[in-house]
Amino acid sequence: MVRLELSGVRRTYGDVAALRGIDLGVRDGEFFTLVGPSGCGKTTTLRCIAGLETPDAGAIRFGDTDVSDVPPEARGVGVVFQHYALFPTMTVRENVAYGLRFDPPDGSVDERVAAMLDLVDLAGMGDRDPDELSGGQRQRVALARALAPAPDVLLLDEPLSSLDARLRDRLRLELKRVQRELGVTTVYVTHDQAEALAVSDRLAVVHDGRIAQVGEPEAVYDGPETRFVAEFLGENNCLDGRAVGGETEGSLVRAGETEFAVTGDHRGPVTLCVRPESLDVNASHNQFDARVRDVEFLGDGYRVHFEWNGRDVVARLDDAPTGSVTLGFDPADAVVLER
Amino acid sequence: MGDAHRPVLLRRTRGRLANPAGAPDAIVGWVRAGFPAVRTGLFGFTAYLAVLGTGGAVLVGLPGAYVLARYEFRGRETIRSLTVVPFVLPAIMVAVGFTAMFGTHGALNDLLGVVGLHLTVAFDLPLVVAALTFYNAPLVTRFVVAAADTVDARAVETARTLGAPRWRAFLDVVAPQLLPTFLAAVLLVFVFDFMAFPIVLALGGLQLATVEVWIYSLVSNLDLTEAASLAVLEAAITLTLTYVYLRYERGGGAGTASATVERVPLVGPPSAGRLLAAAYALVALVLYVGPLASMIAESLTRAGSLSTANYAFLLAQQLGSGGTRPTVAVSNSLVFAVGAVAIAVPMGVSVAVVTSDKGRLRRLAGALLMAPLAVSGVVTGIGLLQGLVFGVDVLGYHLSVTGPVAIVAAHAVAGYPFVVRNVAPLLARVEGDLVAAARTLGAGPARAFRDVTLPLVAPGVVAGAAFAFAVSVGEFNATIVLARDGATYTMPIALERYLSNPSIGPYLGPAAAMGTVLLVVTAASFVVVERLGGRWEG
Amino acid sequence: MKRRDYLRAAGATGAFALAGCTGDGESGSDGTVTTSATNATSGTASGSRTLTVATYPTYVGDESSPGAWLKEHFETAHDGVTVEWTTPSTGSSSINEYVQRAKQGASIDADVYVGLNTDELVRVDRELDDRLFANVGDDLSHAGDVKDELSIDPRGRALPYDTGYITPVVDATTLDVVPETFDDLLASRYRGDLLMENAQSADTGKAFLLHTIHEKGADGYLDYWRDLLDNDVRVLDTWKAAYNAYTKGEAPMVVSYSNDQVYAANEGEDLEKYEIAFLNDEGYANPESAAVFADSDVPDLARAFVDFMLSPDAQDVIPQRNYEFPATTTGSLSGSYAKYAQTPPTPVTFTYDELAGNVTEWIEQWARLVASH
Repeated sequence: MVRLELSGVRRTYGDVAALRGIDLGVRDGEFFTLVGPSGCGKTTTLRCIAGLETPDAGAIRFGDTDVSDVPPEARGVGVVFQHYALFPTMTVRENVAYGLRFDPPDGSVDERVAAMLDLVDLAGMGDRDPDELSGGQRQRVALARALAPAPDVLLLDEPLSSLDARLRDRLRLELKRVQRELGVTTVYVTHDQAEALAVSDRLAVVHDGRIAQVGEPEAVYDGPETRFVAEFLGENNCLDGRAVGGETEGSLVRAGETEFAVTGDHRGPVTLCVRPESLDVNASHNQFDARVRDVEFLGDGYRVHFEWNGRDVVARLDDAPTGSVTLGFDPADAVVLER
Repeated sequence: MGDAHRPVLLRRTRGRLANPAGAPDAIVGWVRAGFPAVRTGLFGFTAYLAVLGTGGAVLVGLPGAYVLARYEFRGRETIRSLTVVPFVLPAIMVAVGFTAMFGTHGALNDLLGVVGLHLTVAFDLPLVVAALTFYNAPLVTRFVVAAADTVDARAVETARTLGAPRWRAFLDVVAPQLLPTFLAAVLLVFVFDFMAFPIVLALGGLQLATVEVWIYSLVSNLDLTEAASLAVLEAAITLTLTYVYLRYERGGGAGTASATVERVPLVGPPSAGRLLAAAYALVALVLYVGPLASMIAESLTRAGSLSTANYAFLLAQQLGSGGTRPTVAVSNSLVFAVGAVAIAVPMGVSVAVVTSDKGRLRRLAGALLMAPLAVSGVVTGIGLLQGLVFGVDVLGYHLSVTGPVAIVAAHAVAGYPFVVRNVAPLLARVEGDLVAAARTLGAGPARAFRDVTLPLVAPGVVAGAAFAFAVSVGEFNATIVLARDGATYTMPIALERYLSNPSIGPYLGPAAAMGTVLLVVTAASFVVVERLGGRWEG
Repeated sequence: MKRRDYLRAAGATGAFALAGCTGDGESGSDGTVTTSATNATSGTASGSRTLTVATYPTYVGDESSPGAWLKEHFETAHDGVTVEWTTPSTGSSSINEYVQRAKQGASIDADVYVGLNTDELVRVDRELDDRLFANVGDDLSHAGDVKDELSIDPRGRALPYDTGYITPVVDATTLDVVPETFDDLLASRYRGDLLMENAQSADTGKAFLLHTIHEKGADGYLDYWRDLLDNDVRVLDTWKAAYNAYTKGEAPMVVSYSNDQVYAANEGEDLEKYEIAFLNDEGYANPESAAVFADSDVPDLARAFVDFMLSPDAQDVIPQRNYEFPATTTGSLSGSYAKYAQTPPTPVTFTYDELAGNVTEWIEQWARLVASH
């Protein structure tokens, strides 16, 4: 187990800058997620960590060792790709045992493989060929294979994206369990913000080749530092306005004709962000009238799309409203970002 | 077998070449003695020659495949397209090129003379093996490159991160996936070498006679029964080999590449691979560019001096009456080849699909369907003559099939096995889930095949089509039998006519000029076809 | 020539008139009329006739080919007659197709065959019980002109119209001493110096082999060849392959034709490089013959065609156009051909009777010897 550190990592393909300087620290044994839209550079970052890409500049350190010049086979990483990448000419057992050829375990190889298969709930499947397995089983083989040589760092590149939703949820939990059991430092790449929020100890939102924000899921979710992060992680209603001095506490944000009360001291151009779940028909503050446009039933409630002043506003409500309603939110629930 | 190629360079060098480092003395002795042939009868010698030829093809073809699959450079696609060209050249032209390149007074000796070396290879086994290599190494290259295009890059990367150095990842992950296609290529090369004959006689002489030489002689002498029994024995051997191969043909496992292995630039800091590529370029220069350039030079030479007489001859044939017109030969060849490919590709893909399942019966059918490769061309010609040309009487009607349609059909039959052997190994790797997914999305079996399976085996289809094209352009035995009138001649037939035109006498120039036309037309066709095919490959 | 044409045409008209009057003429199945009085056939007044002549592809072709000349002049001489060439080329020998057709009962759509080698006639008879060719020798006015040494078929079926002479050709610029006898070739000074062609498939190779049999006898030729092989003679595929190796300097002797200097002279090459070495002052003649198919629909016309090929006019032209020598005593050579084409002091060849029953065995024994050497 090791601490992982990236500083100033850059990577350019021709004229296209994929990484514009990535600085990152992943703690020992942590489940760390890189999340961002496709093309943001998260996979390139992961491939740089694995040694499959060579950065143009910057350093990558495992613990105190700079691994920038270490080839992938000597880095002690385990990688799981989206499409499994199982060796088609080998059985499940041979796949899992492959890494042990280069890094023999203390005990017997067979035992280690059996333990790994057990860990991913595939005991007894060792003699199968990869093409005899389902997608979920293949991905668990890929995980067992990556973990068998006890890597210092586990790298997961969209490992669940090829699977169906229900399987994805189950495997996500399993992944987390296995990771916690082994305590291996893990970097997980996904474009799915819900997945990122669910599994990570900490996460980094990657945007346009840079790290936009790092932190624990709750902290980033509740305290986005940029409008991009606010809108990418979960849903958000963001509104540009101008903050002016308010009453004794907090400030006022003026957007068009309307003024909203927020906490904290703000001045100048700002973006006001309010989560759909923070909007309520019974709220006593920051009320405004909006017209119902669409209603989606989610089982435990409704997601309602409103029209207000020509813009779309989304709210999570317990009951489905009709016509025009008055919405409001608690000043403490709003996030104000300086522009 | 690993030394099949080396002797060409070492044989009878009168001790002046450097001692081949590390080669065991026994092998060197064997090589210096000119491989004392393992003459265990006619079939034994033929097999021996085929093994040497196959070894040469593998030794030269595999590094070529490595360079083409691993490196990116300008003209890579074009070179890949051109690999099939040697396949269509008539033996006499290859003999001309080889004598001019490797002969006692050949270009290579001129070069070696600069450093005080001399090489005598004429009329010996090494030269014949080199010529067989010239013909068939591209086949190994082409097959293996097509298979390499379907290897999953992520699997290679995974192996690397699991601790495998680059070469080891290649050995453990890539090689097993290439193996079935590679073995298919080896099988085909062996069959070709086993049945080779004009080139063996043209460069080696009757002292190196193979089974096919005797079959040809027996047929010429109308000793058809004995010819047929030899041909049957010959076919039995090659078909048995095919059957054995099919028994062990594995798709290399199912799996769909999510990303193909990225090629690295050829130009860059020196590495072992780049040095290999440079060495290979040298070999290709000597083995391919040399003889081909020599043939072209021959077409520009008459009686030892530079001359346009040979092209003037072609022009006179073109413009005069009653002559064999080059343009007619070119257009016939191209029309027949396009027609043959149009039939051979669906035919080959169908056969590959039908025989793809496991089971002895399918395997047997698969082996038998390779018969067009396994049956002697001379005997096929006689069969076509007696069956199609003489015709049969049915219900009072005399049915006789000749002319362009029959030629196209015969070419397609000769070409489809290449499509089968290229496609089958890739087909075995297509995941059943993918087809199932397409079916559940509403595609019928045919539609699912077209939309899902076909694109996945496309590299094999394109490679197979290229070979079918080449086989058609180069075909001689069936074409000359089925072309019943003087006007249905193809490029090889025109070349043959120029060769035996009494007004030309002993000069090979006019034939070399036609050979050059053949070379240029074929090369251009391949580049065009593969550009189109490449677009479809995606 | 013109006069002769006129006379023929006049004779034909006369014959037709006679037939028309008396109904006594010999009437062909297609309504054509023939006359045996002149041995010359003619066109008809009503409609045209077609004579189909089979040969190998290069005998016909462009304007300079012998086939083109024959067609033009035969048609001029025979009103209403069209000569159609057909070239059934199926591998090494065009005659094989007709043998197979006859065997299988398929139709033979030709009247005359041009380009028959003596051993091919042997093969035809060996394979077929019924005769494929008609005896025409006695009916032709020019049959007697054929040189005695070239009269290969006592039954008068195959009539030689041209011949080549096969002999070693040597590069005297590299060889100090040119061999003069067959035994000279066994000398160690000529080790690895001789290139020849496969007697199974190449005419030159076959002729040279037959020449050695002519010289050493059926009992002795294999011993001679064993010695020759020990002296590193190389048996290549075709004349072109061997000649290519020869001109590229791989060996200074090649079994070839006695007219090689014609080509060399035309191209302004050093003739010393192509010295004709008649061994024992002999050259092996390889005559090409014409023959009439036994079931031709127009036998008269077919005979006339063969006779025409042997006529002095044709013999002055068609052998030379085929780069061969005339087969008759009347034919002559002209121009540079006459100057540079050499005739052996003593031409030799095997006749049909000498080859019959032997030639296949001779060649096979030889080929086995070479291949196992």
